[in-house]
Amino acid sequence: MTIEMTRVSFAYDGGTSGVPVLADVDLTVPDGEFLILLGPSGCGKSTLLKLIAGFDKPTTGEVKVAGKTVTGPGKDRGMVFQDLDSALFQWLTVRGNVEFGLRMNKVSDADRKRQADEALRMVNLSGHVDKLPDELSGGMKQRVQIARMLAMRPEIMLMDEPFAALDAQTRQMLQTQLVTIWSEVKRTAIYVTHDIREALNLGQRILLMSAGPRAGIKHEYEVPLSYPRDQTDPTYIDLLDRLSKDIEEEVTKVWS
Amino acid sequence: MVVDTTESTPPKKTPFGRWIAGFWISFLSVVFGLIVWEIAARYFIDPFFLPPVSAIVAGAIELIERGLLFQHIAISLFRILTGFILGSLVAIPLGLIIGSYMPVRQIFDPYIHFLRFIPALALTTLFLVWFGVGEVSKILLVMYSTGFIVVINTATGVVTTHKNKKLAAETLGASAWQIFWFVTVPAAVPSMYVGMRLALAGSFLVIVAVEMLAAESGLGYLIWTSKLYFRIDWMFVGIFLLGFFGLLTDYAWKVIGRRWLRRYVRETANY
Repeated sequence: MTIEMTRVSFAYDGGTSGVPVLADVDLTVPDGEFLILLGPSGCGKSTLLKLIAGFDKPTTGEVKVAGKTVTGPGKDRGMVFQDLDSALFQWLTVRGNVEFGLRMNKVSDADRKRQADEALRMVNLSGHVDKLPDELSGGMKQRVQIARMLAMRPEIMLMDEPFAALDAQTRQMLQTQLVTIWSEVKRTAIYVTHDIREALNLGQRILLMSAGPRAGIKHEYEVPLSYPRDQTDPTYIDLLDRLSKDIEEEVTKVWS
Repeated sequence: MVVDTTESTPPKKTPFGRWIAGFWISFLSVVFGLIVWEIAARYFIDPFFLPPVSAIVAGAIELIERGLLFQHIAISLFRILTGFILGSLVAIPLGLIIGSYMPVRQIFDPYIHFLRFIPALALTTLFLVWFGVGEVSKILLVMYSTGFIVVINTATGVVTTHKNKKLAAETLGASAWQIFWFVTVPAAVPSMYVGMRLALAGSFLVIVAVEMLAAESGLGYLIWTSKLYFRIDWMFVGIFLLGFFGLLTDYAWKVIGRRWLRRYVRETANY
């Protein structure tokens, strides 16, 4: 499903509190793309994602998914939250969490089991289905969130810095796993991060956002590399360099 | 080199083994306390004010022989548990609704936050006038004191449920009603659990005071009337039993938390 944003601005309290967080964002995401929203903290990249998710409504402008204006959250758009604990249902087992959406939608027992098992397999959690979230590591918790989303087979997968709280090794492993999952399910993925390497490891296209307030999309970068990304490829290194300089400009703006 | 594995690994303590070890420490602590009391009461303190443990046990046996003690215990526990359960049954749904819907909260908030500062004790005489000296007024007073604690804790649990849980449920296609029932309610269980535990302790407080003021039975009545007969030992029997049954019900509540609500209350039931 294609996502279209036209002249989208967002301010808290419907604009009464002053300067908008986001201003005049135009964005088209073609079906099946792996898109990265990259930017320094406070640039409104998570806000942009929440507008697509339908958690917030744009103050002006319009967000359309498959031609329909977004009015709220929907099961066509799955979400993985940054926080390890707050989004999981800690009273449900791994399986319970993954099956939650299927149960709410009254999917038949056989389909529910099949879809959940498939999602659990994709994130390598098949051996931990009876554990409670408290018994899992941070990386496993995020995999539960991903599996919970995958089980619903959403058209669009939204991810808000899902690996930011994890250690470097786990993060890299999950990045590889996520690319594999994305190429298997062939759905649109929008991934928010402030980590340039993560952006280059995952995305087909990277949108660098300018620092807020009145944040927007500053530059667009295509990543013409195949997966898995070779970090020694000259193109990779060149992009890394350009992105670093570009993002540094924005960070400097915030700090000065 | 030969390593004797049977000797190098000490036997692992099972959870039950650890519990037994902990139990013995507590048990010895209690025995020690009772011995100190007995000696102090026999040799250092006027036994009229602090009778020795042995005298209290004798007093208890005397009360049992007169056939009154179990009756007092039973009626007090009946009042406490009935009021506690009925109060919670009213308070939990109310707390859930107050926490979930702003208009309902605005309707009830002024009453709740005004009335919760009026202790049940202040209403005792009024309730006796309204509902008579029978069981109804006593149970209603326990319900009253239980109710506020449980309502406030339940509503707090609802309000503090993390927004991300509800948003996640929405992206998974849950309806508003499903979110309330399958996200908000389970997420609020720890607060309900803690609130009910506090309310249980409060119920003991209320029932003793009420039984002292207006009852012909119960542990509060026993403590109060013992004064008339100068039976300090009976007074201590009543006091001891309150502590004992308080401990017992609290322990039962903890067991319920650990056994059946484990995955909801998690570490809340550990102390």
